[in-house]
Amino acid sequence: MSSKDQKIFVVDERKCDGCRECEKACSHKHFGVCSPRHSRIRIEAFGDGDLFVPVFCQACGDPLCIKVCPMNARIELANGAVVTDEDRCIGCRTCVYICPVGAPVENPVSGKLMTCDRCAEDEELPLCVQACSKQQALRFVDARVVARTTARECAARLKAAYKPPKVPE
Amino acid sequence: MKIVIVGNGIAGNEVAFSLRERTPEHEIKILSAEKFPEYDPCSLPYYIGGDVPREVVFRRSLDDYQNKNITLVLDSPVVSIDPHAGAVVTAKGEKHFYNKLVLAHGGRLFIPPIEGVDRQGVLSCKLLGEADKLSEHGGSTAVVIGSGAIGVEAAEALKKKGYVVYIIELLDWILPALFDEATARRLEAALRTYGIQVLTAEKVLRIDGDTAVTGVVTDKREIPCDTVVIATGVVPGTALAQTAGIEVERGIKVNSRMETSVEGIYACGDCVETIDACTGEDVMFQLKHNATEQARIVARNILGMNATYTGAYAFARAHFFDTHAVTFGKTSRSTACLLGDTEVIERENGKDYLRLILLDGKVAGGQAIGTYADSIGLFMGAMWRQDDIKTLRKNWVNIVRAGSPYPWIYRKMGWLIGLSATDVSSDAAAVCQSF
Ligand SMILES: Cc1cc2nc3c(=O)[nH]c(=O)nc-3n(C[C@H](O)[C@H](O)[C@H](O)COP(=O)(O)OP(=O)(O)OC[C@H]3O[C@@H](n4cnc5c(N)ncnc54)[C@H](O)[C@@H]3O)c2cc1C
Repeated sequence: MSSKDQKIFVVDERKCDGCRECEKACSHKHFGVCSPRHSRIRIEAFGDGDLFVPVFCQACGDPLCIKVCPMNARIELANGAVVTDEDRCIGCRTCVYICPVGAPVENPVSGKLMTCDRCAEDEELPLCVQACSKQQALRFVDARVVARTTARECAARLKAAYKPPKVPE
Repeated sequence: MKIVIVGNGIAGNEVAFSLRERTPEHEIKILSAEKFPEYDPCSLPYYIGGDVPREVVFRRSLDDYQNKNITLVLDSPVVSIDPHAGAVVTAKGEKHFYNKLVLAHGGRLFIPPIEGVDRQGVLSCKLLGEADKLSEHGGSTAVVIGSGAIGVEAAEALKKKGYVVYIIELLDWILPALFDEATARRLEAALRTYGIQVLTAEKVLRIDGDTAVTGVVTDKREIPCDTVVIATGVVPGTALAQTAGIEVERGIKVNSRMETSVEGIYACGDCVETIDACTGEDVMFQLKHNATEQARIVARNILGMNATYTGAYAFARAHFFDTHAVTFGKTSRSTACLLGDTEVIERENGKDYLRLILLDGKVAGGQAIGTYADSIGLFMGAMWRQDDIKTLRKNWVNIVRAGSPYPWIYRKMGWLIGLSATDVSSDAAAVCQSF
């Protein structure tokens, strides 16, 4: 699959009302429990609930976590997701520290780090996105479509958060 | 074109495989001092400590080289370069001709001039061959000389194997290049809780023993032991470059295209001295991500793509047992002699600690232990963007009032540095109950 055919997440935190259905869906899919601690997406809440932000791995281009992992445990999947190979991970959290938004989450069962796998290939849409259908804060769209419209707007808004260091590609 | 790469480490492999990714042409040859396909030095302590099996340290297999038509010559350290003939000579006396040469031979372990460093049982963990010896060594008490990241990781590994472990540091606190005293003291205390003896401001005078090690003598005490691990740093390999008349300082000097002072010869990785991407100062960080990024620049420039390296950056973790810490950018100590206003922001919550070093109101570096460390990426971003923390403070009320249109990361940074006690982040435990 070429990167152009890949789908990407579009996050609009202005639409997030903090219902946390995404966390439930994610933890249920991967662990069979509804628990935010088991979720690879997390909702950060600010103030008196005036701001909710879905935080999860966006699989940035040329991910820094891959470069800094001492165990070479961070790997890019064919579907574009960047995940942890648990056989290599030692739980050192370097991937959390280098991440612009601290996305990786500790797997409460294994103690290794984990990130969004886009529900691998076995769902039509990642379950968090399905769970967010009402709010539309999370969408999973064709990279080509989004490149021209929403991405630009989204990127402008989130540039500050996701702007990687000035490193060569 | 014949491309010869000296060193089969992180940088050398990245050059070779990035070249191959872009073109099937050119002869690519790697000359290696060791006997293995590429492995990751960063993984070695975890192999020694038994966290992972040995095969996990490898980043490639011998087949990977063959499949990509890259010639790997093992067990052939390069001893000299003749730039006029365009050739390098190995210790075996073999000559290899090149059109482009890449020096990616990293650094070598600094062995302090102490009596007895050649005793049996004096080991290290910079190279896989050494790590193998340490892994197979059947000792019971180990003295680790040097408390840099490698020393601390070695200490943890040996502790896990059941050794009684001492770390000896000449300077006042452990991890002295990476952390300031306030952070290091906390890490030192943590190491002690795991049963590791930490001795700072102490100098090793001698290693005792007839053939095998029997003890270490310092300026303060004698420690009986059967194992010594040398972890006193890595010195960049400049001697080889000098045989070609290449300009060196602490490391091999390179320009922003990663070219050395001699035409057709590039250098990258732990052997080079380069600039800090944020400050422009000359630096030698000797970290894996910098080696990788420099190597990619070399590959592109060899192919005439005119790529510019923007600089290296300091970012390292200190992690042992369930203590997790991170550092980036400058320390207070390294800003001490700079012009400008410096300020240190500290936050503490039980064992968690955050320390930000501001220079003229902008983030110049940071250190964190525990949960604060998980958000350190936000502050690294602030450093890259040159966010003004003074402005964040001044505008804090407006930022909160403005709500979501304002990037949330400022909201979170403000909360982390204590601008607001009420602006709380998600509390998983509390939500758990509401599910
Ligand atoms: C125990 C340990 C832990 C580390 N942990 C981290 C970490 O957590 N994070 C991080 O960012 N960095 C870490 N580092 C540093 C990181 O490994 C280096 O920055 C990185 O490997 C540099 O890559 P390099 O290719 O320049 O050098 P190396 O990977 O050291 O490769 C150089 C290669 O050249 C070979 N060589 C040397 N001389 C010659 C010669 N004359 N002829 C031919 N070959 C030669 C060597 O045998 C070696 O294989 C660690 C290092 C060690 C030793």
